[in-house]
Amino acid sequence: MLEVSNLRKVYGPDPHAAPAVDGLSFAVADQEFVCILGSSGCGKTTMLRCLSGLTPATSGSVVLRGKPVNGPPEDMAFVFQDYSRSLLPWMTVRRNIAFPLRYKGVDRRRAAELTDEALDAVGLAGRGDRYPWQLSGGMQQRVAIARALAYRPGILLMDEPFASVDAQTRSGLEDLLLNVWQRYGITVLFVTHDIDEAVYLADRVLVLRPPANVGHEAVVGLPRPRNQVATKQEPEFGRLRGELYAALDGRPVVA
Amino acid sequence: MSLDGAATIDARRGTPAAGARLPPGRAGRLLASRRVRDLGLKVSGVLTVLLALELCSRVGLLSRDWFPPVTDTYAELFRLGMGRPLWVEIGRTLNGWAIGLALATLLAVPFGILLGSSPAAYRMSRVVIEFCRPVPSVALIPLAVLVYGVGLEMKVFLIVFVTFWPILLQVVYGVTDVDPVVRDTARAYGLPAHARFFRITLPSAAPYIATGLRIAAAIALVLAVTAELVVGAPGLGQSIVVAQSNAQLPRMYALIIVTGLVGWVLNMAFQAVERRLLRWHPSQRQEESR
Ligand SMILES: Nc1ncnc2c1ncn2[C@@H]1O[C@H](COP(=O)(O)OP(=O)(O)OP(=O)(O)O)[C@@H](O)[C@H]1O
Ligand SMILES: [Mg+2]
Repeated sequence: MLEVSNLRKVYGPDPHAAPAVDGLSFAVADQEFVCILGSSGCGKTTMLRCLSGLTPATSGSVVLRGKPVNGPPEDMAFVFQDYSRSLLPWMTVRRNIAFPLRYKGVDRRRAAELTDEALDAVGLAGRGDRYPWQLSGGMQQRVAIARALAYRPGILLMDEPFASVDAQTRSGLEDLLLNVWQRYGITVLFVTHDIDEAVYLADRVLVLRPPANVGHEAVVGLPRPRNQVATKQEPEFGRLRGELYAALDGRPVVA
Repeated sequence: MSLDGAATIDARRGTPAAGARLPPGRAGRLLASRRVRDLGLKVSGVLTVLLALELCSRVGLLSRDWFPPVTDTYAELFRLGMGRPLWVEIGRTLNGWAIGLALATLLAVPFGILLGSSPAAYRMSRVVIEFCRPVPSVALIPLAVLVYGVGLEMKVFLIVFVTFWPILLQVVYGVTDVDPVVRDTARAYGLPAHARFFRITLPSAAPYIATGLRIAAAIALVLAVTAELVVGAPGLGQSIVVAQSNAQLPRMYALIIVTGLVGWVLNMAFQAVERRLLRWHPSQRQEESR
């Protein structure tokens, strides 16, 4: 269980400056898949950074499984929006995926297995010995995702992870993520600005309005396992989409 | 200059397309022939200058007393190269160079890491650094002679004192200039402090440190030769002075050329090591076809 209450974040030393996150409260159940929708600049990245303990919040609290978050929790993985810079250029793809595992106490053989599995899952088997900068942007993004998957986190924070891949790869990665999520019982917080993606993936969608607080919440009752064609044809899908579109727009929601 | 430019453009246009279509043997030959042509251009440039000098001196355009024909100098260079004494002198110069550079590195790297990781320490030492760094190295020679005499120790002292600063500053920049996203990644995945240092900070500082060392290596050679010239410590610099005072001009020129060659070889060696170790860095990346 992740509980966020009254989170506020002001950048810079001036406490009266405009906050990037203000009055944000919500809770995420264990093994829940929550998507966060919000327009550009509304504070999604800032929120994730506070939740992960990478950036200290100005006030408010984040509690993960009963423990307040002050620094990055042990079984958390983070896929950064700036994926290409989060890969270490002096390590090969394989080492980029494997190096966090060493410090988690995974032995070498198991780390190699997990790495191969993750590489295979994101469709990059055979590219493990290249360097990240020898790959295309979309491939780099998949390496960053593979690193998070191989880590087998309890909670996975993803900041617009599928933003720079083509539609085909994107659907593939969405299904892969759902698959891994279900198989390993991960809690996922997934930031996106794509309404369809949010509805397709989530148990619940939160819409943020600047300065990031929950302006709207929608429970997604679509059956699982989801299917790229069938799920998107359900009337419920269309209804949610309309609801979220209106919520993002800031108009009152007409049910 | 313009010739060189033309060659590059031609190569850029020609080879990649050809490489894609042609069997590998053909592409390899094309590449090799481009290298040969490149080398040919470089060599003929050098030969032109040498030939011009030779002519000027033979015809009397340059006074023969001060500018002996290039062929004489090279004949002397060849004679020196065949004998042992030249290599002994080179060894003496390089000995001081290596000890000085190694000591400076051993001192500057840990100190730079300390200053780079502690803003308070950096601010405390800023003024001292800014004061010591620009002191002209030659101004220290009297002090060095006074304290250490005219031998190896004096050379080493000079080199350490002067090359310490560029290495130190490069280490400080390198350690402070870790990409924040990389830093966050390491923290998010729970790397302990020592792992963050060895796996993240050091590798990302390595290119800076390498540049610092390369610059320091060049300065150290200049200092070694200067100390030998001015003070008369044994080494290449002293041999140049001896040749000059005995009016053996071809020998003097030959030794000057040797000094230049030593510097060139050292620089090449540093660059080669950098290329190997820092393959991943944008300045060293080469496109691979695979
Ligand atoms: N390091 C920082 N220092 C100061 N202000 C910042 C910093 N990072 C973000 N901000 C500000 O906080 C606000 C929210 O930024 P944030 O990056 O969280 O938005 P976002 O929702 O992730 O946007 P996007 O969808 O474009 O990634 C913006 O107004 C931004 O200018
Ligand atoms: Mg963002």
